[in-house]
Amino acid sequence: MARKLTVVISQGQSANPAKRKLEEDVVAGLLFERGVEVTVVPNLYDLTPDGTGMLCLQGISGDMVVVSWLFSRAAFWTLDRNGIRGREGKVELVNEAEEADDEDDGDEETKADDKPRVLQSRELPNRQIWCLDFKARNLAQPFIEEILRIKRLAEAQPVQILNWLGGTPTSAQQERFLNPTNSTSGLDVLGMLNGTNGHAAPPAPSSPQASAPAVDAPLDGAPAAPTIIAEDAARRWYPVIDYARCTNCMECIDFCLFGVYGVDKVDTILVEQPDNCRKGCPACSRVCPENAIIFPQHKTPAIAGSPDGEAGSFKIDLSKLFGAPDALEQAVLERDVELTAVGRDAVGMAVGIPKRQDEKSVGPKDDLDKLMDSLDDLDL
Amino acid sequence: MSDELVFMMGKFAAKFPTDRLYAKNHMWALPAGDGYRFGLSAYAVRLLQDVYFLEWSVDAPQRLREKQTLGNIESSKAESELYAPATGVLTEFNPVLLKDPTPINVGTYDAGWMFAMECDPAGLLSPEAYQVHLAAAWKIAEKTIKGQMNE
Repeated sequence: MARKLTVVISQGQSANPAKRKLEEDVVAGLLFERGVEVTVVPNLYDLTPDGTGMLCLQGISGDMVVVSWLFSRAAFWTLDRNGIRGREGKVELVNEAEEADDEDDGDEETKADDKPRVLQSRELPNRQIWCLDFKARNLAQPFIEEILRIKRLAEAQPVQILNWLGGTPTSAQQERFLNPTNSTSGLDVLGMLNGTNGHAAPPAPSSPQASAPAVDAPLDGAPAAPTIIAEDAARRWYPVIDYARCTNCMECIDFCLFGVYGVDKVDTILVEQPDNCRKGCPACSRVCPENAIIFPQHKTPAIAGSPDGEAGSFKIDLSKLFGAPDALEQAVLERDVELTAVGRDAVGMAVGIPKRQDEKSVGPKDDLDKLMDSLDDLDL
Repeated sequence: MSDELVFMMGKFAAKFPTDRLYAKNHMWALPAGDGYRFGLSAYAVRLLQDVYFLEWSVDAPQRLREKQTLGNIESSKAESELYAPATGVLTEFNPVLLKDPTPINVGTYDAGWMFAMECDPAGLLSPEAYQVHLAAAWKIAEKTIKGQMNE
């Protein structure tokens, strides 16, 4: 059976016409693609757990591409928190600034891998989820090309992937692998794998509310209507945990005094009460030693889930010179502001301060350390 | 504007009127009403150069703690978060700058005021003390800018 590919378009929060046009262009560009089903939802991050949009996404089986205005990590782990899980597909269409950074830290992953991450103890379903970021390009075409690349990839990994890995690919699989083709000839392969003439539609998704169920585009070219989910999506604000980074150290649950965090049956940290979170406050993200806590709508890329922190800006950041507090100092300030806003007492540094402050390794100082020390001495 | 002090940033002479106080985060504070009006000093403006975007993340009036994030500023060359120069009540933002921040460059010490605050001036510096602070700050700034440019 050929795998169908569901493409979810997560709309931006703003009504910015340029953004809306990009969303619409991507949808339009996919309508004539066989084996691609398009679902449009309001901003993924704002969907409520029991709302129509999230139920629809939970009803999608098989491989999925999600295109949103969130950083890829932010989208992936927002889905994960709502039980929409899979293996993270490698996206090639990334922001150019991120791409340039990627090349520098090829060995970073191996370096960082000494600590056990929560993800390693998880079992994941046998499907892939690719999260694309609308911020990567201004035009629809690169997104459509990337989605078609992913579709070819997904088709080249049919359900019997284990047979293949065991050394017995079917001729169609092998051909597909050796000679990746564009989408037009992909139709034939789809037909072959289906054992049909290519007209058979894959089973429709069991989305509970599909007002206009997506069906395969017939060969005469009439487009399949995308499934459009309208949901009154009020803006939300809550943390999203990246379990590929999280080590379950519990510093966030110690630091947050608003009862956002909890643990599951096996004592793994989770965002238990997201709506207890104080709008605009990213303090727990700043105290997380692994930078595993994402606030997808925060304007600082490192907090919003950019791959390596500062991607997206080529400008010099003068914040430190203009009196920026350090991350912990800032987190404590932000928490105190939110505590006093709800009539509670500020606690300053008295509660839930990361334990790592005491056990920081003392090594020889390099130039950057010396620079940071002199900044601290200045008491800006 | 009466007297002024001058601090050399390389070949650039940054000027600081002596009729007001200064905050360590490079804002000037001029008494106005029950509090002070704050704007960026010539030192800060020189580091930023042409300011073309200013955004506030808090609403006025609001009680603020020193170093609390107020918003951010972006220029042709750089960007920075902006932080409260003192603990107190921020009473008003300069509405003109939201549409067009150029007064920060062309009217640095008057029309370019950014916000008004009622606060205790104890933590603010005299113009002379600010010069001493600048001498140390400038060394760091030079290194930081070179460091980031070479990345």
